[in-house]
Amino acid sequence: MKKVLLPFLIYLAFISESSLIQAFLPQENSMDWQLIPRFSMVMILFIAMYLNTTYGLLYGLAFGLLTDLLYTDIIGVYLFSMAATAYITSIFSRYLFGNLIVTLLLSIVGVSILEFFVYGLNSLIGISNQMIDEFLYKRLLPTLILNGFFAILIYYPYVKQLNQLKDTLKEN
Amino acid sequence: MPHFFSNKRLIILLVSIIILVALIGFSMKKRESLTLPEQFLKDSAGLTQTIFYKPANTIAGFFENLAEMKQLYKENQMLKARLDEYAKLYVQYEEVKKTNETLKAQLDKEEDLTDFKVREATVIGRSPDQWNQFIYINKGEKDGIKPKMAVISPQGFIGKITNVSLFQSTVQLISDNDRTNRFSAIVQGEKNIFGTIEGYDPKRQALLFKKIPVDAKIKKGQQVITSGLGDVFPPNLLIGEVIDVEPDEVGLTQTAYLKPSADLYDLDHVMVLEREMPAVDESLREEEEE
Repeated sequence: MKKVLLPFLIYLAFISESSLIQAFLPQENSMDWQLIPRFSMVMILFIAMYLNTTYGLLYGLAFGLLTDLLYTDIIGVYLFSMAATAYITSIFSRYLFGNLIVTLLLSIVGVSILEFFVYGLNSLIGISNQMIDEFLYKRLLPTLILNGFFAILIYYPYVKQLNQLKDTLKEN
Repeated sequence: MPHFFSNKRLIILLVSIIILVALIGFSMKKRESLTLPEQFLKDSAGLTQTIFYKPANTIAGFFENLAEMKQLYKENQMLKARLDEYAKLYVQYEEVKKTNETLKAQLDKEEDLTDFKVREATVIGRSPDQWNQFIYINKGEKDGIKPKMAVISPQGFIGKITNVSLFQSTVQLISDNDRTNRFSAIVQGEKNIFGTIEGYDPKRQALLFKKIPVDAKIKKGQQVITSGLGDVFPPNLLIGEVIDVEPDEVGLTQTAYLKPSADLYDLDHVMVLEREMPAVDESLREEEEE
């Protein structure tokens, strides 16, 4: 995979979040689960696990800033959370062997770290008024399942591309 | 993990927390307009969103249609009954309109506070984290849209424009919990009862209508409309229906729960309203500021 293609792919995932959320919204007469697509974060977590920490951190910073500017009103929440999540996950991945199960587990851990960071910061600022139990059952759990599915879906093609990219990076 | 918290990393962490707090503090101030790079980013993202949104929405709409098919017969019957009512109401409306016009002509009153200009727009995206309730529409500064304009869907009031770039703008829905997201509203009845809409209770899926006088009597099913007193939004836009009333924590005022009349989760085409006549003379206000 070419190096330029990677940010483009993540950008597509990032934009698709804002379109797909409309389909995941709690409609009337159904369960009021909050399914939050964190597809760009999952893709950045893969980079942090399979490429290297610096790349993960940089992508986390860039797309965190983009999320802040485009999807929220306050700059800084996602910038900090996404970069920190990518960093923490890449530290974890150093001690674990990379296969499907471990990657899935780490993606889920990463997404929940992000959700907790954002929930904490937003509660601090006063944007969210959700109780912690409601947050855990109605938001975190469904979100983790959704993003876990996404991680499984992209695992084989994406990891293959990332490994190729890693080889080309080593050659240079 | 021996090097997890070495000195250097600890310092970087501390510095980044300081930067984080500074950034949040900076952006919590209400800014009137966006900076140029922000506008550029929003415009280019808006372009890609437009491409994406159409197919995603079509697929979602298809499944929704399938689910709705079951209720079609029942709905059809109900609508037929409504149609008869409509004809009656229409005749009444025409009559009232005519008398209103003649009365206005007698008074030499051409402009009305309730007049507004309507601009149609399409929703191109929505903020994916549910903490912020923003939607994005495909009309911007180029089409004459300005911050603070009211936005409605065919069913009722949904929110206001917060920031505008050249080709797209952001709408803050009434369900957003931001502390500046407040609207003056009235309960329709024999006597108008005033209050403010302050945020959303996700547990009950209802808007919070606060600061109602404690002696005001509100019944379930009464309709709540914008008051137009804030000088920003046109009056008489339907917000929702009262589903419950409670005294607030201190007992000095009441809080009503409103079911929003517009489905805030299923927005497709919206209308942006611009008030034709400013309630306060602009020159007066400038003097005041000086």
